[in-house]
Amino acid sequence: MELTAVLILAYFALLFLTLRGRSRVIQGPWLFFLRAFFPNWKFFHAVGHVPHVYVRGESAGVWTDWHLVYPRLRRRWHHVFHNPAVNLALSHQNLVDHFASDLNGLPDGADASQLATYQLVTRLAHQAIRGDGWGSTPMIDAALPPVQRFQFELRMELPEPAHSELMLRSPELAVWD
Amino acid sequence: MELHTAVRAFMALLGWSLLLQTLEFWRLLRMDRVGSWSIQRTEVPARPAWVRPLLDQVLQGSGYQGLLILRLVLALTLLAGWVHVSSALLLFVTSVLLLFRWRGAFNGGSDFMTLVGVSGLLIAQGVASITGEAEQGWRAGLWYVTVYVVSSYFVSGWVKLLRPEWRSGRAMTIFLDGGVYGPLSPHSVYRHPTVARLVSWTFTVWEGCFPLALFDVRIAWFMCCVAPVFHFLVYWYFGLNRFFWAWLATYPAVLYCALG
Repeated sequence: MELTAVLILAYFALLFLTLRGRSRVIQGPWLFFLRAFFPNWKFFHAVGHVPHVYVRGESAGVWTDWHLVYPRLRRRWHHVFHNPAVNLALSHQNLVDHFASDLNGLPDGADASQLATYQLVTRLAHQAIRGDGWGSTPMIDAALPPVQRFQFELRMELPEPAHSELMLRSPELAVWD
Repeated sequence: MELHTAVRAFMALLGWSLLLQTLEFWRLLRMDRVGSWSIQRTEVPARPAWVRPLLDQVLQGSGYQGLLILRLVLALTLLAGWVHVSSALLLFVTSVLLLFRWRGAFNGGSDFMTLVGVSGLLIAQGVASITGEAEQGWRAGLWYVTVYVVSSYFVSGWVKLLRPEWRSGRAMTIFLDGGVYGPLSPHSVYRHPTVARLVSWTFTVWEGCFPLALFDVRIAWFMCCVAPVFHFLVYWYFGLNRFFWAWLATYPAVLYCALG
């Protein structure tokens, strides 16, 4: 067997062994931004709790129900070439995932509102309650009246068996222009 | 595959993928009202002191538009078959800047694989300019891309095969229900446990066996012909169109590097 083939075999054998073991998580602000240089390629590998954002708004002193902000869009054939709305929606759900991760990493008693992810998720909730959408698809699946204040929750949810756990509830916040 | 053909196909497909991505970013200039650089910049480390001011210039307003236009031009030149070490370096730098704009990744794995392609291009041009041997440069660049892309399938397949929820097929149904174009209809064929198990095993074993492509060029052709179908299905159910093009751009490298 030629040397190249041996090297290829050795590399993938080593890679397989690393998958079997527990890997250490190395974190840092630079690594966060440059993590694309160290991809782990573990897509959709584990079923578990998924962080979901819910919003509600207050209109004329009455609070609406809680509404899930989660990307659900209609498929189109041309989306394989140009799909900005779906990709934006997916990036927003990715932001929610990072927010949940940041909250988990906060020390007890720390102020979550200082997190950049908290502030960005606040903007997401604000846009959702104001009727904004991903392209032409509203972020929440309900038509709401104009609201003066809003509030959002982060819940960790398991699809099967259905289970929901509140992780954070924001204070009541005023909408802005 | 002959080196010349592989290089030409790689450049064209990478250029096409970058073009589509950049046009989407351009559209998002108006569509994204959640992202805010004034908030995101606080996550960038304060040291070295020149980083934040530099990013302020290029990741908002006209600076960001200029960055996208530059990337668009570079993608078009690549598509046309022209590349130089300076254009490869510019493409690499714009890719890194975009990582900061989108908090490390806009679209996860597709950004990672695009960066692999752009890095491969830079390696090819860098090695060629240092050694004066264009062929040697391209060999280095294409092997770099190949190692990453084959590893991506191998890892992605085996991490699933090692988990009971994937082996039973249950995970696939759960993820399809959570997909952007989901949930599955109540009568979907994927809700049948046997079908879900069969489909899960089929594509995870196919992914896990992808390194075999390196040992025989016929296997490489088979893998690279099946792969677009796989990625199209991923797009169809999860909306991940960028994955389709980012991975497609790497197959000429695999076909070139396959032994025999």
